[in-house]
Amino acid sequence: MNNFSILSKTINGTVIFMPKGYVNDLGAENLEHACEEFLSKGLKNVVINFSEIQYINSIGASIFTGIVQKIAEHDSMLCFTNMKKVHSDVFEMLGITRHVKVFKEEKDAVNFLNESD
Amino acid sequence: MVEKKDITRLLFSISSLADLGQEVTSAKSFNDRMKTALYVVTGMFSVPKAALLVYNSNQQRLELLTHKGFKDTAWTNIHVKAKHIKSFSKNEPYSLSKIKTNSFYNPDTAALEKFHTKTFIPLFAKDEFVGAICLGKRLSRPSYLQSEKNVLKVVANHIAITLHNSSLFRRLTNKVNENKKLYEDMRHIYHDTIQAFAAAIDAKDRYTRNHSYRVAKYAVAIARELGWKEKDIETIDVAGLLHDIGKIIIDSGVINKGTKLSLSEMSEIKRHPQVSYDILSKIRFPWRDLVHFVRHHHERMDGMGYPDALQGEELSDGVKILAIADAFDAMTTDRPYRRKLSLAEALHEVKNCLGTQFDSRISNVFFRVLQKEINGETKKAQILPHFALDKGFDPTVITTLLETITAELSA
Repeated sequence: MNNFSILSKTINGTVIFMPKGYVNDLGAENLEHACEEFLSKGLKNVVINFSEIQYINSIGASIFTGIVQKIAEHDSMLCFTNMKKVHSDVFEMLGITRHVKVFKEEKDAVNFLNESD
Repeated sequence: MVEKKDITRLLFSISSLADLGQEVTSAKSFNDRMKTALYVVTGMFSVPKAALLVYNSNQQRLELLTHKGFKDTAWTNIHVKAKHIKSFSKNEPYSLSKIKTNSFYNPDTAALEKFHTKTFIPLFAKDEFVGAICLGKRLSRPSYLQSEKNVLKVVANHIAITLHNSSLFRRLTNKVNENKKLYEDMRHIYHDTIQAFAAAIDAKDRYTRNHSYRVAKYAVAIARELGWKEKDIETIDVAGLLHDIGKIIIDSGVINKGTKLSLSEMSEIKRHPQVSYDILSKIRFPWRDLVHFVRHHHERMDGMGYPDALQGEELSDGVKILAIADAFDAMTTDRPYRRKLSLAEALHEVKNCLGTQFDSRISNVFFRVLQKEINGETKKAQILPHFALDKGFDPTVITTLLETITAELSA
């Protein structure tokens, strides 16, 4: 993966990932590993901000499927924000969005998670 | 009316099939390609846990090739009998409940459930069973639409062909490796046999024990210094070992005679390169120039050699190398009619015969090899050990002599 990187930050126990670039090969598994690492530390809320994601293909979809599964296994909460329409359409078709909360903006997700806690 | 969701699904499927095609034909390792292929499938159908199994036809069992979503990958190999393979529809997705009604399902195949298998796809390429895909529970609906099954079948077919091609390639590679080993074994036997022949040739003459062995070593050292390819070095090596094979038909009394040879005895001796050629040319050696080198190893630069009185550039480098290696060893070993020359005397003799008996360029290379051996610049000395124990042997004297000869040659 030449065009993929991840920024992350933690706000009030919520970890926010901002992947950047192309989610189209096994290099993007780092996002899944990063989520798993935070979950294993006991953090329950994960937000993924899609604003910097350029492209997601079937391999990328597989990686997000894996993240959804891990969130479920840890009884945690996953939010997607800033999704482009093309991505949300595909995720809806794949049934991924049934398992996550989708917000327009990152701050909306953070507020929701703060209120839920 | 076609729904927007169906169009999204169709476009995603087409795009994913393109991803799959690109991934399975990429330059990645086989395992990476197959892992990526499995990810394409799991992404297409939103399956978090899946495994790709490869069929080991020798062991008749399915073995884990790659997986997604499992921490514990202690896989129990599933034995698959011929009757079960016959019962499978090629690349057709089976639900676990359907598999459970098949005789294929037994305590052994219960391992499928450990891998959370909800869908099992037997993979076939042509008519050969090559593996299987196990798909876990989907994030979306549990069952597959008929259109999804059709896409899954296409994907399975694609992966099956990749597995099949890889298996063919692996078998071919194994065969090539087996043949390589066989060839190496044969080569060793071949070389051992040739060495035995060389020993038999040298045994005929009590004065020239190991002569062929030394000629081969000297010739190889010169050829290597000239930068010859390994195959050609092997040719000169074997030529050195077998160059005197024609002597087996010459009377031992003539070969070991301690006095001057008569004209008829001399002409008998001179027959040996031709006889060597006649013997060796009947054997289909893998070394093309071998018989040519052997036939002409007594030719000279001035055309006074035998059997064909070739001269100058009619002599190939191989012939020139063998000629100097043979003559040098003859000079530096005892003969029935004379004592051996010292290394210094032999080098003088070579120098005196430059341009008449020996080629100057090849002789110069020979001198260089000797100097490198004295300087310890070669991995293993080939010429020097023959003289190291000689009385009065002094490397510094030889070095000075070689420098003088080389300077004269340059001038």
